Amino acid sequence: MPPKRKAPPGNQAPAAKAGRASAMSTPGPATPRSIESSAMSDPEDDDDMAINDEDISDAQKEREALMTREADQFVNKFALGDAQRRQNDGESRRIDAASHLFKKRDFSHLPLKPDHHLRPLWIDPVTCTLILERFSPLAARVTDFLITIAEPKSRPTFMHEYALTPHSLYAAVSVGMRPRDIIDTLDRFLKTALPASVRRKIEDYTKSFGKVKLVLKHNRYFIESADADVLQTLLKDPVVGGLRVHGSDTTTYAPTMGGLVIPGTQNAAGLRQANLTQPGKPGAAGAAGAAGAGAGPAAGAGAADPADPNQEGGLLANLNEEEDDDDDDKEAVHSFEISDANVETVQKRCLDIGFPILEEYDFRNDDVNPNLEIDLRPNTQIRTYQEKSLSKMFGNGRAKSGIIVLPCGAGKTLVGITAACTIKKGVIVLCTSSMSVVQWRQEFLKWSNINPDDVAVFTAESKNKFSGSTGIIVTTYSMVTNSRERSHDSKKMMDFLRSREWGLMLLDEVHVVPAEMFRRVISSIKSHSKLGLTATLLREDDKISHLNFLIGPKLYEANWMELSQEGHIAKVQCAEVWCPMPPEFYDEYLHSSARMKRTLYAMNPRKFQACQYLINYHESRGDKIIVFSDELYSLKQYALKLKKVFIYGGTSQSERMQVLENFQHNPEVNTLFLSKIGDTSLDLPEATCLIQISSHFGSRRQEAQRLGRILRAKRRNDEGFNAFFYSLVSKDTQEMYYSSKRQAFLVDQGYAFKVITQLANIENTPDLAFATPQESRELLQRTLVDNERGGEDDVETDDLFGKASRGGGRKKAGVRRTAGMLSELAGGQDMAYVEQNKAANKALKQAGGKKKGGAEGQNKFFKGIQREKEKSRARG
Amino acid sequence: MVKAVRGVLVECEPAIKSILVLIDSENRNEFIIEDLDETHLFVKETMLHLLKQKLEERLKETYRPEEPLEDSE
Amino acid sequence: MSTAQPSYQLSDYLDKLPGTTFRKLYQQPSTAFAIFRRMLPQLAKVFVQGLLYAPGPMLMSELEIWVRPEGKMQRDRALSVLRSLHVIQITPSGKDRPQELQLTTNFKNSMRLALEGGGTHNSFGVPSSLPVDPRIDIAHLDNYARKKWEDILHYVVNSVPVHGDGAAAGSGGGPKSSVKDLLLVGNLVERRHDTRAGVGITKAGFTFLLQEANAQVWTLLLQWLEAADRAKGKSDNIDMLSFLFMLASLELGRAYDTDALTETRRNMLPALVDFGLIYIPREDTRQYFPTRLATTLTSSASALRSVSSGFSAATANNPGDASSLGTTPDTSAAAKGSVFIETNYRLYAYTSSPLQIAVLALFAQLTLRFPGMVTGRLTRESIRRAIGFGITADQIISYLASHSHEQMARAAAAAGHPVLPPTVVDQIRLWQLENERMRTSAGFLFKDFESLDDYMDLSSYADEVGVLVWRSDKKRMFYANKYEQLRDYLKNRKK
Repeated sequence: MPPKRKAPPGNQAPAAKAGRASAMSTPGPATPRSIESSAMSDPEDDDDMAINDEDISDAQKEREALMTREADQFVNKFALGDAQRRQNDGESRRIDAASHLFKKRDFSHLPLKPDHHLRPLWIDPVTCTLILERFSPLAARVTDFLITIAEPKSRPTFMHEYALTPHSLYAAVSVGMRPRDIIDTLDRFLKTALPASVRRKIEDYTKSFGKVKLVLKHNRYFIESADADVLQTLLKDPVVGGLRVHGSDTTTYAPTMGGLVIPGTQNAAGLRQANLTQPGKPGAAGAAGAAGAGAGPAAGAGAADPADPNQEGGLLANLNEEEDDDDDDKEAVHSFEISDANVETVQKRCLDIGFPILEEYDFRNDDVNPNLEIDLRPNTQIRTYQEKSLSKMFGNGRAKSGIIVLPCGAGKTLVGITAACTIKKGVIVLCTSSMSVVQWRQEFLKWSNINPDDVAVFTAESKNKFSGSTGIIVTTYSMVTNSRERSHDSKKMMDFLRSREWGLMLLDEVHVVPAEMFRRVISSIKSHSKLGLTATLLREDDKISHLNFLIGPKLYEANWMELSQEGHIAKVQCAEVWCPMPPEFYDEYLHSSARMKRTLYAMNPRKFQACQYLINYHESRGDKIIVFSDELYSLKQYALKLKKVFIYGGTSQSERMQVLENFQHNPEVNTLFLSKIGDTSLDLPEATCLIQISSHFGSRRQEAQRLGRILRAKRRNDEGFNAFFYSLVSKDTQEMYYSSKRQAFLVDQGYAFKVITQLANIENTPDLAFATPQESRELLQRTLVDNERGGEDDVETDDLFGKASRGGGRKKAGVRRTAGMLSELAGGQDMAYVEQNKAANKALKQAGGKKKGGAEGQNKFFKGIQREKEKSRARG
Repeated sequence: MVKAVRGVLVECEPAIKSILVLIDSENRNEFIIEDLDETHLFVKETMLHLLKQKLEERLKETYRPEEPLEDSE
Repeated sequence: MSTAQPSYQLSDYLDKLPGTTFRKLYQQPSTAFAIFRRMLPQLAKVFVQGLLYAPGPMLMSELEIWVRPEGKMQRDRALSVLRSLHVIQITPSGKDRPQELQLTTNFKNSMRLALEGGGTHNSFGVPSSLPVDPRIDIAHLDNYARKKWEDILHYVVNSVPVHGDGAAAGSGGGPKSSVKDLLLVGNLVERRHDTRAGVGITKAGFTFLLQEANAQVWTLLLQWLEAADRAKGKSDNIDMLSFLFMLASLELGRAYDTDALTETRRNMLPALVDFGLIYIPREDTRQYFPTRLATTLTSSASALRSVSSGFSAATANNPGDASSLGTTPDTSAAAKGSVFIETNYRLYAYTSSPLQIAVLALFAQLTLRFPGMVTGRLTRESIRRAIGFGITADQIISYLASHSHEQMARAAAAAGHPVLPPTVVDQIRLWQLENERMRTSAGFLFKDFESLDDYMDLSSYADEVGVLVWRSDKKRMFYANKYEQLRDYLKNRKK
């Protein structure tokens, strides 16, 4: 049996189920409900957050049941279609000696187009999996198209796989692709004709998506649709029809990028020079617009793309064919107005009757909310993929809400800031920690010309407002959702936040925030558009779809390997180091509880030695190393024994700063031990090597997130530079299983983990820890004694979502207990370690205090460390 | 008096030996005749197949099971 | 305990032949030439060329000048091959006479004839003087040969126990029963009752499937020669082997005269037809056509690739086939390899050959099949299943390497990486190692010794006679894999 992931405390199995239902009941403003029922989500079982369903009313539950039934019908419709297709195609199937190996998934009977070798795309008609030949001259172009309409599944070197899902099609429609575009373009790139079943699927999924938009224009709400029939249906609806403001029906033309220029792009630079725009003339968007989806996928590639000239020009021309007539058959848009008070009612009703509403913000025509004086600094230029992702957001000149997925270090922050500079209205930024609040504000000042007074910070320590009529507020999710024990200042601040209309809400690290927290944020703070940013839209539960409800569709997802080949993020060598357990450890492991097993495989002395060896090796190469441990006990034991600095939840803010600063600037402090609080948002571009000694079960997200810590390595563009990522796993334990599960996401991104079964000459490591069986046995005894009482809970003070998942109260107790454990470590030697620990982190503090003394102070500090080392050596 | 006992010599890593010993103790000592040293066991010939099976089961928790195909038809 | 025999190769067969046989073999210029082409390493060929027209024996010391000091190992290997094939003779090193070497007489004469032409040996076949049916062109022969050979391979591959409901669909009648018998005799399949065909593939059979076509042909031919040896004796087999070498020297697409053959050779024709090595028109049995399988018998490995490209280009006349994808349309993917293996263990193979697909299915979990392309993955299960069949990790790796898509090779060359992702190669080996977590051997544990002396005495004796496997002086126990000698020793000592 594969190990079962134990539910986190307070998260019983039924809760997860209810959680799913409750999210479905949430009238996410603009998301089709059928998504929830689709079978295409990833059925992973392990995450740390859950949602209570206590607050779900019976009425809501009833509606959920109804929705489920409807969704079932929706899905069944497709199932029927498949059955039919199979019947129809059955006769033409070829049967040969290999057919039985594929059962129903043998599509060798599908006729290839005569020029199939020029077309790079295969499709599985049943699962809608698309397989792309990356070596095709058309690959770049097709990739741009696929990333818009489909979900990337596998992106190694030669062949990429994508899946068409209801989600991905919803996202495609919402960035302005028409079903016809999707079908035609797919057909153009496919080697076989687009199967009728897939065509039907696309049509059915997209039929109701994106048809109806809610637009806030001149601060009046309009319901818009390009489809007159749809609008008629709405007007005839007893609920919606009755809420229309009479005499407001209008017909205009569909918006286009229309002169909107995203700052920081090539186009913007050109504009600044020429100072020549053609306001009001739609279609003048130029390159920036073309990169978006508006003009159809082929447009992005454009004629400039070096098509293989040796190939049949006719076909390539055909494949390249731009829809030039786009400008001519501009779509008429029909709309009517509804009053502010009725927005929510109309949204819900539209969802009920099958026309989920897309929200768009026509910020250029918003003359009620004051404009914010902000622009990118003139020398700031954003990268191609950043531009691509933003053009999805602003494709038609309005701001659409959604999520942009870029790996860590690829400049998510700049994307957010550029979005703010495009909209130029009030912005609220939500981060996961106060540390990243500070970083966000600094980034705003670094990249844009914003007046520092206009960027205010709302944290426990600081509660400023901006000075002018509008500005930017940077805060944390917990600050705006925590309703308990709010100080007077905070209350006033919250009232301020609630009382305003924000142009843009930037949601950082959306993948780690529980859906219920989003719901609270979004329901209490009004914003016209929302942009979620994340490195991995990946959760071990199926709650990603909730984000689609609450924020909007995924607008863009970057390809890690591509960014690394282009030098935007560091190249990383990944390795999994197998550490056998000494027999006595392994015996104990076999007989231990699940909790103790985790401690034991983290405390495996061979793993400790491997860690020591790797630290030695990489420090001597000049690397800066981060060692991650989820297990607090082993984090401390390792750091203390190796005399390295560490940060965990219990480390005070000032001590953290001290340690981080030294890690960054002090040539003598090259290794930093981090608990899982360092998984996200910590920006340490000095780090070039990462060692994992204990992790959160099979969390693919944590793995990707941790890898992200070294992707922005400063030295990444040095000739032949590689960052290193090691996962140390105890052999023949469950850790092996978790480890391979954790790697799944990165492996599908094209990362390759080398298995290392033997570290060369590890036995020659100076002062190799636990080198004798005696020491190893002592370590085991100590570990058992220290963790007898169930050990420390891995409760982290900074884990701002701990509360949501574990339910209030206990958190504080946990912290206290953690602190208590430190001083309670049994045995004389341990006391010694504690002393040294104090010395290691504390010495930094003293050194910091004497910093003004310059080199001398530093020297003293290191003499201190040296002394400690010698002392302990003498003792040992 | 010297005895010659018929059986199977098992040579393996210490960790595997630990598992084998555990399996034996959970099954009324039906497998192992003699625990020789850290890497060697002497087991009953007739039980060898079953022992291998049980070891395999045991080791299953250390690697990822195959992912099902995208559509589990 | 493993009975997996490595696949039978020509060199193994030749190794067993006595010198007299070689002397007879080398009477045929075609044989001498074939051995030269096929069996000699590059350096050995250089030596032969150097010696061929030398007026007399050459001094060893002279030869040493030809080779740089660092090439000594290659030189020694070349000489050892030449000697074992009885191509050269070397005088023993004596006190007063320096060592000399020269080509063996028959080899030298035949080789000269082969190069110069002339003589009346008919060693390179006698072309038929009869009119040739114009329909019998190279494409026709290729199709015929491919069909015959694939029938044989299908028969072997289909004897893999099938999982689940879908049974393999029959691909025509399969090979002749004589061929089936040969496969049984050659231990590539064995009789089994749990398969539809009544036979099951053996470990040697799996090895056979993963080989290059040329090696497969030789494996089968040698089984056949051996079977003939057992039936008729050595006299025939020299002529049989010579005939095979002669076939290798014939021209593809040309008709040869059946009547010009010896009786032994004429008797070989039906079997060679069954293997697909030659084609004999039904209407006129006085002509035989060698197929590509025959004419490439002695080609060198590098030549084979281009040969097989011609082979598949000529026969890939299936319009609904994308297996030439990713290469220029006029050359075939099969020639340059057709399989992608990604770092995430996904596998994509440009092929529509049921045979190649079946071979891939031996070690990969296949997922989807398109016209001309299949997808799948290497998984722990799929590799372990293959290893259970007796296929080794190295065989899988070398199959993947030799069939890798040219795009992979190109990308690897550009980046200076190996063609196969190293992590995948490692993982395949690790999966194999997993199978070997417990090494076992049946035997006897000696314990309960009355005294240390008794223990020391017997365990030392066990060590002496080489049956001691494990001992512990502390426990006064030892383990031996055999019992009889120790029992006898104890008995004798008591007396």
